[in-house]
Amino acid sequence: MFKDIFVFIECKEGSIRKVSFELLSKAKEISEKSLSTVYAVIIGNDIVAAANQLKEFADKVIVVNNEKLKNYRWDIFTHVMEQLIKKYKPYAVFGASTITGKDIFPRLAAKFNGAIVSDAVGAVFDGESIKIKKPLFGGKIISWIVCKDDSTFFVTFRPNSFPVEKRSLNGELIDETVDVVGDPRISLISTDKSGSKKVDLQEADFIICGGRGMKGPENFQMLEEIAGVMEGRVGASRAVVDSKWRDYNDQIGKSGKTVSPKLYIGCGVSGALHHTMGMDTAKVIVAINKDPNALIFQYADYGIVDDIFTILPVLKEELIKIKQEV
Amino acid sequence: MNILVCIKQVADTEARILLKSDKKSLEIENKYNMNFFDEFAVEEAIRIKSKIKDSQITVCTYGTKKAVEALRTAIAMGADRAFLLDNTGLDSDDPLIISKILANFAKQEGFDLIFCGRQAIDDENANIGAMIAELLGIPHVSAILKFDIIDEKKVRVESEIEGGKETLEVQLPALFTTQKGINEPRVPLITGVMKAMKASITVVDPSTFEGLSKELIDMTASKISVLTYETPKGRPAVKIVDGETPGEKVKSLIKILKEEAKAL
Repeated sequence: MFKDIFVFIECKEGSIRKVSFELLSKAKEISEKSLSTVYAVIIGNDIVAAANQLKEFADKVIVVNNEKLKNYRWDIFTHVMEQLIKKYKPYAVFGASTITGKDIFPRLAAKFNGAIVSDAVGAVFDGESIKIKKPLFGGKIISWIVCKDDSTFFVTFRPNSFPVEKRSLNGELIDETVDVVGDPRISLISTDKSGSKKVDLQEADFIICGGRGMKGPENFQMLEEIAGVMEGRVGASRAVVDSKWRDYNDQIGKSGKTVSPKLYIGCGVSGALHHTMGMDTAKVIVAINKDPNALIFQYADYGIVDDIFTILPVLKEELIKIKQEV
Repeated sequence: MNILVCIKQVADTEARILLKSDKKSLEIENKYNMNFFDEFAVEEAIRIKSKIKDSQITVCTYGTKKAVEALRTAIAMGADRAFLLDNTGLDSDDPLIISKILANFAKQEGFDLIFCGRQAIDDENANIGAMIAELLGIPHVSAILKFDIIDEKKVRVESEIEGGKETLEVQLPALFTTQKGINEPRVPLITGVMKAMKASITVVDPSTFEGLSKELIDMTASKISVLTYETPKGRPAVKIVDGETPGEKVKSLIKILKEEAKAL
């Protein structure tokens, strides 16, 4: 049985994104049951060090290293992936449900006339096929899906869906030389990467989110400081973004980003359905709100009923202590 | 400019969704809207039309007869004509099939510019736009935040990328998916609503498209099958952390997060 899995690796500023290690861990778990091979596929420029890092997580590491792959472009990356998939004919291709994954995977699925499942949160191998777990309607319903495998199929998974497990595999590095050409109908004019140093909201293990109860944009500085201590990220509710207190990039919810951190702390967040649909897959939810009847408490694991402006300074000090202990 | 906007009618965020006893189908409360991200697509098309006078905006959807409501909303906003690609008897949710149907419609009509919403808020898939573009062999740019016409053959767009934004120039025909931030979708005026109520909406059977027989687009052709649906495990009731002072409350919370929840 050949059920080889490709994992499309994503890098950010030269480093492999955490979600790619998560996907390799899940792919390896499946491959051990299906006696197949996991290929980490890394394409980019100056990625040899990153490729070596992947050897511990994958049986084989396909590397396409080319200066023309310095910046992500769907047209170039799709063309490179197309050639690799044609050559290796994997059973499935896993990727992350990120801006990049959502851009490249549908085009690949259409190219190969293959099945696609996006924004999945789980996968199990039952001896015959890979069953994919995907939430629908903002998490109100969970579906279990199976793909027709008459051609390679494509799945993107939400970051923070799986733990990272290193397997010490010493996988084989395979240098591939393929055509690296883009679509001449598109040209890049400029790039602004001012937000690239921030932890990605969808990948963050720790999110502290502000709602209308923060009273104004200036008060988000306290949240930034706490996120800084925890190496996490500040999120915002829709009301906050609509009030222009925070950028849309920070918005968590149905019309913003869906997040699954290990710990989410909502500060002055009311708990409107729109918002909770974007965060209720967080592992642990803490709500801080002075209104004991705030809806957010219906979704939270733990709550503090108090004024956020008296709680936050103490919270910051306590979290600093914890970090110092570590 | 000949503009196509592909929209979807989705269950309202507040709609109750129930599992049927077979756990293979769902009962959705009768509350539907035009998909949130598609409103930006319709609005952007209307703004282009206000700049380029001889433009025509066509909206289309693949869905049930009920989806006509979403098409009428788009007409009320300012779209010129609407097509329902009727899924009666087809009923597949496979993104590949839906994209094939929409791409065939686009090919048949011929468009300079296609807009779709970034993703549907019911399945969160974000597949249809890029798949249509691939099937038509045209460029796409996802999640655009800004759209400017340079001339009838070229546009300049700004889109979200990992950790930032980029500006691209794209030759037409091309497809773009829209997201929050690009514009503020208008609320239809009463005159628009009246016009939309009277508008005739063309209902098309997708299996009549050249190259798309019923067998190629019905459930049996679907590349994905839902084995079962389930409801997510609910969380236990919230534990309110007590204490006399903010300091005590925070210390108790930290202790719980470390020892009980193992979240720190």
